[in-house]
Amino acid sequence: MIADYAEVIHDDRVHGSLYSDPEVFDHEMDRIFRRGWVFVGHESEVPQPGDWVTRLIGLEPVIMVRGTDRTVRVLSNRCAHRGTALCWREKGNSRVFQCNYHGWTFGLDGSLRGVPHKAGFERERAELGLDRPRAVELYRGFVFANISGDAGPLSDHLGAGGRELIDRLCDLSPTGNIRLDAGWIGHRIQSNWKMWPESDEDGYHVDFVHISMLRTTQSYYQDTIVGGEASNNSRAVDHGGGHSELDMRPGYKSQLSWLGVTREKVTEYCNAMVRRYGEARANRLLWEGPPHAFIFPNLFLAELNLARVEPLGVNLTVHYHTAVQFEGVDDQFNRRLLRQSEAALGPGSFIVADDAVTAERMQTAFAGAAVGRSSNGFGAAWIDLSRGQKRERVDEQGRRIGHVSDEVTNRAFWRRYRQMMRAK
Amino acid sequence: MSVDQPSPSAVIVADVTRREIEAFLYLEARLADESRYAEWEALVTDDMHYWVPKGAADYDPATRLSYINDNRARLATRIRQLRTGLRHAQTPPSPMRRIISNIEILEADDAAGRFVVASNFVLYEVAAQATNELRIWPGRVTHHLRRVEGRLRMSKKIVELVTSELPQPNMAFLL
Ligand code: FES
Ligand SMILES: [Fe+2]
Repeated sequence: MIADYAEVIHDDRVHGSLYSDPEVFDHEMDRIFRRGWVFVGHESEVPQPGDWVTRLIGLEPVIMVRGTDRTVRVLSNRCAHRGTALCWREKGNSRVFQCNYHGWTFGLDGSLRGVPHKAGFERERAELGLDRPRAVELYRGFVFANISGDAGPLSDHLGAGGRELIDRLCDLSPTGNIRLDAGWIGHRIQSNWKMWPESDEDGYHVDFVHISMLRTTQSYYQDTIVGGEASNNSRAVDHGGGHSELDMRPGYKSQLSWLGVTREKVTEYCNAMVRRYGEARANRLLWEGPPHAFIFPNLFLAELNLARVEPLGVNLTVHYHTAVQFEGVDDQFNRRLLRQSEAALGPGSFIVADDAVTAERMQTAFAGAAVGRSSNGFGAAWIDLSRGQKRERVDEQGRRIGHVSDEVTNRAFWRRYRQMMRAK
Repeated sequence: MSVDQPSPSAVIVADVTRREIEAFLYLEARLADESRYAEWEALVTDDMHYWVPKGAADYDPATRLSYINDNRARLATRIRQLRTGLRHAQTPPSPMRRIISNIEILEADDAAGRFVVASNFVLYEVAAQATNELRIWPGRVTHHLRRVEGRLRMSKKIVELVTSELPQPNMAFLL
């Protein structure tokens, strides 16, 4: 039992039982995933009226669906009668949702439309529509939900930093729009979910966890995140609100480094960018590329991929990813992004498979950590997050900035986490 | 597996050809099980495609994400990575054994030395890198085989996992 989360989350260290204590997980499901904003999906996943996908917000099953009025809604995937799941596939298209238990039907807006054998139905239909998160908002097509409805506006949650990160990704599309229609690949990892916001934004591990990848392929990571302090000037950034970034822009040696090509290889794309943004801004966008950033608590802007972290239990997480697809580019361009995505993320990938094993090794080491929580002797199981704490600085916008290998990003996550977990 | 397409029926080949094909499948399986990467790689042609789709193999892998979608160059990278000995996701290599059965030869052109062969498999893996649990991987494989200089080689290996719609644990070994 943790009386006050401040006791186990300090600025420079946190207690390992936060990864393995089932009670902490239950608190997270309420204080972070129910009372806070959570990424659900992208509107391009449901382009037509009736298109839906199933998701979890914390452990709450929901349906993200486009209505006949073209509005994207998030509805409970639990029949308002006795709770049967309405949709049990990953995605589909329906005119209505009909429950298979007693045949109640719900409109795409969640309203109860039909109840078989009406005479015995003694309530108003309006009372028994599908439940829904109290707040749903979109930002550039990204759909977020806050179940409790008391997390304030989405723009406050994202903050200027979070919005800028999403903008930097979407602005790389020559129409300003991205599509997430390449399918999601699920990677099942026997670790706590928090290993993922941590590892996805860890600029310290690449030399070690990914050494086999670095020895077999050439990539821009060599210029941006590999080799330690002397050899690169990328930055770890705390954007506030728990959102963090490994900013590799200062390390890029040429335009389009992040795509691994020169301009001649993607002329049409570059021309389309210039048409939309003008030469100067297009040049800057093509130089800077997409962010490598994490939007608290579950959205990873993984450069040209997108990942979402789905906690299933204190020891079990699914790291889903998909390739970003741009509007207004040729098929060949988008296919390049698909191939890069397969190489980087997922269970068979060259990169994240090694992170997965690392996360599982961490989880194994924390199995008994709750027992030692009140001790300071052997078994106390603290993890150290102090790296670069003294050399980080705060810029004009209030962002904390450090060397890419510093634990600025991890501290950013835990600071926000502590704040939410302390709210009773 | 889509139900509206007719399922291809097996063709009959000479016994000696069937034995040659079976011997190839068993060898390929054993080398994969024992993480003998170089010897396994010697079994593939220059245009090898190694594909682990999400769901059934009824889509164009160019247009949608897959778990693994290696052309020959990427497969070479995969094997180079494994052979560094530093690939944590396979350090140590998973102890594995797979059982192959229900071998059906779907297409055969004996004169040209080309065959398409489907089989069922169950692979038992110990995830020895971290959790040490036994993982069970059931599925169906389609091999495209070609005789090169008198010996069978594979130009395509498609692995359709029974669980392929579900999130998967690490598959950093050769499936
Ligand atoms: S539980 Fe859905 S209709 Fe009864
Ligand atoms: Fe990593």
